[in-house]
Amino acid sequence: MSSSFPTSKLLVMRGITKRFPGVVALENVSLSLDAGEVLALMGENGAGKSTLMKILGGAHLPDEGEIFLGGTPVLLSGVREAKRLGIALIHQELMLAPNLDIAANIFLGNERPGGAPSLAMPLRRAEMNAKAAALMARVGLALAPTTPVSTLTAGQMQMVEIAKALSHSARVIIMDEPTSSLTAGESEQLFKIIRQLRTDGIGVIYISHRMGEVLDLADRITVLRDGRYVGDLGRAEANHEKIVAMMVGRELSKQYFPAKRDRAAGEPVMVVSDLVVPGAPEGVSFHAQRGEILGFAGLVGAGRTELMETIFGVTPALSGTMTVEGKPFFPMSPRDAIARGVFLAPEDRKRHGLVLPMSVAQNTSLPNVANYNRWGRLDRAMERRVAEAEVARLKTKTPSIHQKVVNLSGGNQQKVVLGKWLAMNPRVLILDEPTRGIDVGAKAEIYRHMAALADEGIAILMVSSDMEEIVGMSDRVVVLHERRIKGVLAREGLTQERIATLMTGRTEGDVAA
Amino acid sequence: MRRELGMSVALALMCIALWVSNPDFLGQSNALNTARQISMLGIYAIGIGFVIIAGGIDLSIGSVIGLTGVLIAKISSTQPGGMGSPLWMGIVVALSAALLIGLGQGLLITRLKLQPFIVTLGGMLLIRGVSQTVVQGGTLSLGGSPLLGLANGGLLSLNGDPLVPYPLVIFLVVIGTATYFLHFTVFGRYVYAIGGNRDAAEYSGINVKKVETLTYVISAGLAGVAGVCYAAYIGQMSQQVGIAYELYAIAAAVLGGCSLRGGEGTVLGIIIGSAIMRVIDNGINMFQLHYRDEIGIPRIWRLNSNWTFVIIGSVILVAVVLDQVVHIVQAARRTRHAASAATAVPPPGLVSRP
Repeated sequence: MSSSFPTSKLLVMRGITKRFPGVVALENVSLSLDAGEVLALMGENGAGKSTLMKILGGAHLPDEGEIFLGGTPVLLSGVREAKRLGIALIHQELMLAPNLDIAANIFLGNERPGGAPSLAMPLRRAEMNAKAAALMARVGLALAPTTPVSTLTAGQMQMVEIAKALSHSARVIIMDEPTSSLTAGESEQLFKIIRQLRTDGIGVIYISHRMGEVLDLADRITVLRDGRYVGDLGRAEANHEKIVAMMVGRELSKQYFPAKRDRAAGEPVMVVSDLVVPGAPEGVSFHAQRGEILGFAGLVGAGRTELMETIFGVTPALSGTMTVEGKPFFPMSPRDAIARGVFLAPEDRKRHGLVLPMSVAQNTSLPNVANYNRWGRLDRAMERRVAEAEVARLKTKTPSIHQKVVNLSGGNQQKVVLGKWLAMNPRVLILDEPTRGIDVGAKAEIYRHMAALADEGIAILMVSSDMEEIVGMSDRVVVLHERRIKGVLAREGLTQERIATLMTGRTEGDVAA
Repeated sequence: MRRELGMSVALALMCIALWVSNPDFLGQSNALNTARQISMLGIYAIGIGFVIIAGGIDLSIGSVIGLTGVLIAKISSTQPGGMGSPLWMGIVVALSAALLIGLGQGLLITRLKLQPFIVTLGGMLLIRGVSQTVVQGGTLSLGGSPLLGLANGGLLSLNGDPLVPYPLVIFLVVIGTATYFLHFTVFGRYVYAIGGNRDAAEYSGINVKKVETLTYVISAGLAGVAGVCYAAYIGQMSQQVGIAYELYAIAAAVLGGCSLRGGEGTVLGIIIGSAIMRVIDNGINMFQLHYRDEIGIPRIWRLNSNWTFVIIGSVILVAVVLDQVVHIVQAARRTRHAASAATAVPPPGLVSRP
């Protein structure tokens, strides 16, 4: 990097180094941002994006390096200081208090205009509500400021976060994976507002794994790898392949998804008829064949996760029938489903898939630990053997099977989830967003494992919001819209366009006409 | 406010039933005593309310109540064992000690990131031990101390007895101040925010540690104030005073709608919760049924006072069970609502439900 940044830039970070015990998270990283610019920050998980943004948000102090805001050197000594200087960080897990209303959340920590409020200061609710209404109008949120945040959708919460950033006249707004839980419509709304922010002269740093929206939105892309700055790409020169190559440091082979083998002839393993999921308007029917990857596409709110949770017995169905290998199957709890070889790798793997403070071996044995006994004692040797086997099969990167899973990367955590089910000989494996939050290299590995499992004859139900993944991996695709099945697409002629048409509630005829 | 409303109704029904069964329930002396009991519980229940709403817990307040009384007796009592210093000095030292205990525990919890349960459990035992050391295992009498007037006296007089006992006056002041700070100031907003989502509060630039520490200071401070009242009321301080009082306060707060997960609860609810706890306690003594036995002699049936804890425990469990049932029913109704909204005109026959 050249050592002289023009100081007219809105934000300059220069030579930032941050060390944590045992690791160098960032080494001599530099970054700049203009007013009215959307800068995408890209890199695999562990590349140092979040550390860099935490430094900018005041949560960490850099060990070395300088930060300039509007040409003046600044010391971002804390969250409050960063906010005061006009830097707003919107976290991926939204940071809102669900028990408070929208206005209270927008002005949380900022109750007195232009300064830190004293604790004893009376709340000026009327004034805050009026100001909140104005900010909410700016982000297109047509609700009362007194609406409790617990009743909002993910998209609306995102808008509250942006309104909150605007409330302390942020000059730099950082968004960390803002679309990860939004519907397509909500994402569009978000992009519109980001473009509006750009017109208003606000600098936006946008972190996302979704290539499409980055290429669409960003004026410039900065890529990090292993805690180092790799390079910048301008809007004109950026494309999918270049970005991925910079992120992973090599040309990723074109064969990202494993070749689809002909698995057409399998007999049905799971047959679902007229299954009414609680909250759904009508029953759904479909079947999954032996050795097939059946994709489930749909917008957030289409009811995909709810359907999977019903099949797994988390929320039992209201009516309808299911069979597994020809025998009736009606799980009233995950216990029932597991007993029949129907397993779920959930969407939120940290909350529902793993016990984070427990080890790889303990997580692997968890669903079946009752059978790991020898004269009534937990058979640790057997537990170790099984865990070792699964770690070897899935090539899980962990120092040992005694490592706590909280210390593993997202991709390796997902492998632990897979391993705990593979150890139990699955018939039907439900994978809900199997690669969410997992970096490019690890994704390709998960895909290879999925293909291998299907080849062994397991029926895989895969829910995904990633279109490329749906098209690349599925043998057939079930498209859901507002909790109804809108269509089932066969492998021949499967395109993103056809899926998207059904996902948004249109029928294919509408487009063709 | 659902919980507050339900609990007010329950309280009112309970009072009416007691009054019907035994008109003395609302007689001056019993009403006065019950009001005094509700006030003394309410004062420290409101204190722990701040901690609970911020998502914490304070197990030490019973011990703080004990220690305040013991210190006052030790410093200002003119009886054997007392130092005979002025009463005001005893009160100032005792309240300062309470505030310092709250500050110390708050700092341990927030600065060293220790779990509130453990810190205040340690505090509970340690402070109890200090009281025991001060009284040397015996009792200290406050006989002849002007402090005793605090419990017995009051404002306005009717038939020679006070109409508004001083503990009630103190309670009203505490209610007013706590309502203002919890519901109308930035501080209160932060207490709710921390209880609702601690990370969100932190990332909103709130000085979470300071606000949390303050809740423990408030809790211990109000326990100190209640301790002064109890000292005046009991008059004989031993190491036994205040044992398990923190559990009454937690019960009162939960009955009144506080969630131990944090972020929920109101001062009004805690007042109602405290009242319910004390009315039950009093009602077990007051409740009576008149009947005639087989040979026609009028008799009175009373509750066995050994059942006190059984009844109080049952009431708490019934309250939280009812609350949860209402919650589940409402959630189910909302789901059905959402489902019927999704189908603008549900085609008949398609929506099958068992």
